[in-house]
Amino acid sequence: MVKQQGVNITGKKIMYLIILISPFIVIFLSLFIGRYPLSIDIVTQILWSKLTSSATGIPEISQTVVWDIRLPRAILGALVGGSLAVSGAAFQGLFRNPLVNSGILGVSSGAGFGAALAIILFHQTSLVYLFAFCFGGLAVLLSYFIGRVYNTTPTVMLVLGGVIVSSIFSSLISFIKYVADPYNELPTIVFWLMGSLATARFQDIAIAGIPMVVGMAGLVAIRWRINVLSMGDKEAHALGINTALSKGIVICCATLATAGAVCVSGIIGWIGLVIPHIGRMLVGNDNKLLIPASIALGGCFLIIVDNLGRVITGSEIPLGILTALVGGPFFVYLLKKTKGGGW
Amino acid sequence: MHLLEVIDASFSYKSAKIFEHISISIGPGEVHCIIGPNGCGKTTLLDCILGILKFNAGEIKLMGRNINQYRIWEIANQMAYVPQSHAKTFPYTVLDIVLMGRASHTGMFSSPDMEDRAIAEDALAMVGLSRYKDRPYTQLSGGEGQLVMIARALAQQTPLIIMDEPTAHLDFKHELIVLETIVRLVRDTGLSVVMATHFPNHAFYFANHGINTFVALMSNHSFMAKGHPDNILTEENLQSVYNIYAKVVTQHIDEIGELKQIIPVGTLANNFQGGQTV
Repeated sequence: MVKQQGVNITGKKIMYLIILISPFIVIFLSLFIGRYPLSIDIVTQILWSKLTSSATGIPEISQTVVWDIRLPRAILGALVGGSLAVSGAAFQGLFRNPLVNSGILGVSSGAGFGAALAIILFHQTSLVYLFAFCFGGLAVLLSYFIGRVYNTTPTVMLVLGGVIVSSIFSSLISFIKYVADPYNELPTIVFWLMGSLATARFQDIAIAGIPMVVGMAGLVAIRWRINVLSMGDKEAHALGINTALSKGIVICCATLATAGAVCVSGIIGWIGLVIPHIGRMLVGNDNKLLIPASIALGGCFLIIVDNLGRVITGSEIPLGILTALVGGPFFVYLLKKTKGGGW
Repeated sequence: MHLLEVIDASFSYKSAKIFEHISISIGPGEVHCIIGPNGCGKTTLLDCILGILKFNAGEIKLMGRNINQYRIWEIANQMAYVPQSHAKTFPYTVLDIVLMGRASHTGMFSSPDMEDRAIAEDALAMVGLSRYKDRPYTQLSGGEGQLVMIARALAQQTPLIIMDEPTAHLDFKHELIVLETIVRLVRDTGLSVVMATHFPNHAFYFANHGINTFVALMSNHSFMAKGHPDNILTEENLQSVYNIYAKVVTQHIDEIGELKQIIPVGTLANNFQGGQTV
């Protein structure tokens, strides 16, 4: 009995390690996937020459495909997927509700509105990023102040504030779609809202990566506190933590990460809701393990889905469509296999 | 020295007066039962003591120092809390829950270390639930769940634990297990407990087992009587607080000695007067 438990714990540790390193493996594998076939030694040579800035005899086009197209796209996928999943996990703990997702405080619809507005006003990509990011943050601030009563922020009021702000911004998105030019602007808005990593370049990663990495790092740092916050305000206070401050830090970090993700990739649903649950089934509910695992699983999942979207058909399938189509059956499989993990 | 002193405290929500001029002092190794009818303000008083609500007047001294001079985590190092009912959302393991008792000893950006883990395991052993440490706490029965909450409070290693109706919703046996656990902890570790309860017999239970027990009878926005159960839980007092006719009886049990209990006979509205139906 004791021995079996020991084996069980070692097995869990190994699985946790595999989960944590899996994004790096998936990033590497995705360098081979696409219409332009490349062998393993060519890819490794290209990576080696770029990292050591030495010359190589490999054709320019192969180098561009690996270094300027596939690699940044995979890294961006890992950052975006990780950000959405970890924010979802953090919000589920904070709001003590397994059904909330990364967009619960309105960040996704706010960012969607910002992007749509920038598309019809400026037709310029960099301003789309900026508007999406700022409006995403603004939406969360609005939710926070709507949910604030008597100097406290009860979680029910916060969620209600988020629902109201989300619905207002969704209406505004519909309004912009309605007034947009149906030949140029409308398709751009619709495709942006469906989510894509196709525009990924290293510059994008450098800019949007900052809020994503800062937000994710913050959530990793405060992850055990999320356990305590999930006991509810009264118990968390009696356990000795400043609930208002801790909640504020979690909301700030999750918002930074999600807004950073949404502004470069558009609205990608499903990840922020379901990846944390896949994490719960694999590593348990302790946020000490769940938060890092969510980042890794979310990253892997989005890279895999993005690769599928690139190769299944002649033209790319938007990510917002594929995430649920691919992830749904996988989720059901895990649900059956782990018997739900103690719910 | 007193662990906790509440001095002439009053509390009201906007216009609704909850209680006023309440004072209580708690020393080491004592169990204080706060007894009173539904809605008399027991939970509000406990919330004020825990620092979740603030009195309109009066003060609290914790270890001789005004509680407003303490940081939140410093209070949690002096008193722990066992809730009446705990809403279970995520199926954390039992040990994860008990480990949360170490929050006040853990920095904002860190996690409990091996020492905290050992303390949590000790706390779990003290309530006799070590065998469940890796189980999801959502799968425990109500009584076991309440023992886990007590273990979490023990992991805070405080001299004082505040309990809000810790035996509410429990069956006969589990109620007794919780009471036995409290008696054992107070006797073995010198812990003090402040406990809101609906059952006057809980106070007699502690007194019967040789615990230094006090009762505060809460009624009409204040403590109408305070002191040893024998002097406070009298037939006259129960009649004036609850409007019931009750009988205090003593039974001799060989292993323990004299056991005092209250037997509720009937409400006064039911025409009981001094045991005579009229």
